[in-house]
Amino acid sequence: MSLLLEIVTPEEKVYSDEVEGVVLPTQEGEVGILPGHVPLLSILDAGELQVSANGKIELLAVDKGFAQVLGDKVSVLTEGAINFDKIDPNEIDEAHKRAAKALAEAKQKGEDPSEIEQLETVVRFSLVQKLMKERRR
Amino acid sequence: MANTRDIRRRIKSVKNTGQITKAMQLVAASKMKRAQNSALAGRPYAQLMAEIISSLDGKLDDITHPFLIERKVENRGVLLISTDKGLCGGLNGNLFRKITEIKTPTKFVTIGRKGTQFLTRTDREVLAEFSMSDKVRFSEARLPIEYLIKAYLEGQIDTIEIIYSHFENTLKQEPLIRPMLPLKNLKEAFDEYVKENDLKSVTHDTREIQFEPAASNFIDTLLDLFLKNEIYHTILEAKASEHSARMVAMKTATDNAKSLVDDLSLQYNKARQAAITQEILEIAAGQSS
Repeated sequence: MSLLLEIVTPEEKVYSDEVEGVVLPTQEGEVGILPGHVPLLSILDAGELQVSANGKIELLAVDKGFAQVLGDKVSVLTEGAINFDKIDPNEIDEAHKRAAKALAEAKQKGEDPSEIEQLETVVRFSLVQKLMKERRR
Repeated sequence: MANTRDIRRRIKSVKNTGQITKAMQLVAASKMKRAQNSALAGRPYAQLMAEIISSLDGKLDDITHPFLIERKVENRGVLLISTDKGLCGGLNGNLFRKITEIKTPTKFVTIGRKGTQFLTRTDREVLAEFSMSDKVRFSEARLPIEYLIKAYLEGQIDTIEIIYSHFENTLKQEPLIRPMLPLKNLKEAFDEYVKENDLKSVTHDTREIQFEPAASNFIDTLLDLFLKNEIYHTILEAKASEHSARMVAMKTATDNAKSLVDDLSLQYNKARQAAITQEILEIAAGQSS
């Protein structure tokens, strides 16, 4: 028996495959889902999503969103998701630094709050990715 | 009658122009295809969102949220989605005509340079201008969206509306004003959304769904994601409209260039023939004298 995991973003379907289990980063903490789980609807926080498939554990960085468990299907709705293997630590580092710098500058100049919030999102997402990569090294 | 050399030169330049417009037509066609594809790629997301909305159905009664409250409209907030470049027929002109119909005080946020140019020329208030590449990544679209939401929550603007070119088909794009906020009737909006993304693929599970945290906490995140995705899709649609309008405009230009070349060739041949006849006449006249 296995689970069907689907991860969708506004741009594309990022993941769609049979898996053995998933660990979701929900607002209430990490929730592990195995086949036969009760139907569940939960809010996701930005964090890492663990997928175990074929005896291996795969990691994905996700932004905030929703997770729905219905039958043996786990659907994750998020604004951004990226596979751990595709994360290039240098690039993330770079992006993170750039965003943090722009953020500091914007705060100094007292720029638009919405721009600041946008930058904060970038910082948050890249930070999650970076932390994940470092932890596994 | 014009000189044959002049006509030849004109034919050459018209042909060149025709080649350029033909190339632009092909480029626009492929970009349009891409815009349509990315709109399709967003379908699963919309479907899942509709699924979640329908599972929350009935659990979201009597909620309050700033997006749902109608307040007195002092300043309308309008997102104008125009193009960065011209050569797309009447697309931008139609949008701008729509704007001139707005008489109440309005603050604008724009995507696309042409729109900003028009608004500043006609002395309207522009809060911010954003640019969008042809790829229209969600991360790009997020910037103007978050800006609008922020301005709305702070009370800088009292509505969020979008003026864009609605994509009816390749040949027809209609300028539209689409109100986004406040959501006057949440239930209706959600019902319609669920209907639009017909839920045939829903997995059936008779057990009661568990909500973690409680269902009433979902509304904040849900409305946020819902609104963002709706605006993102409107932007994608506007892009598809832009490219198809450009494609059609360039096709017309190419056709016009072709018929112009035909006319000019006819004129050229006539002029050439006239010159030859003239020459023969002159020779014959010379012989007989």
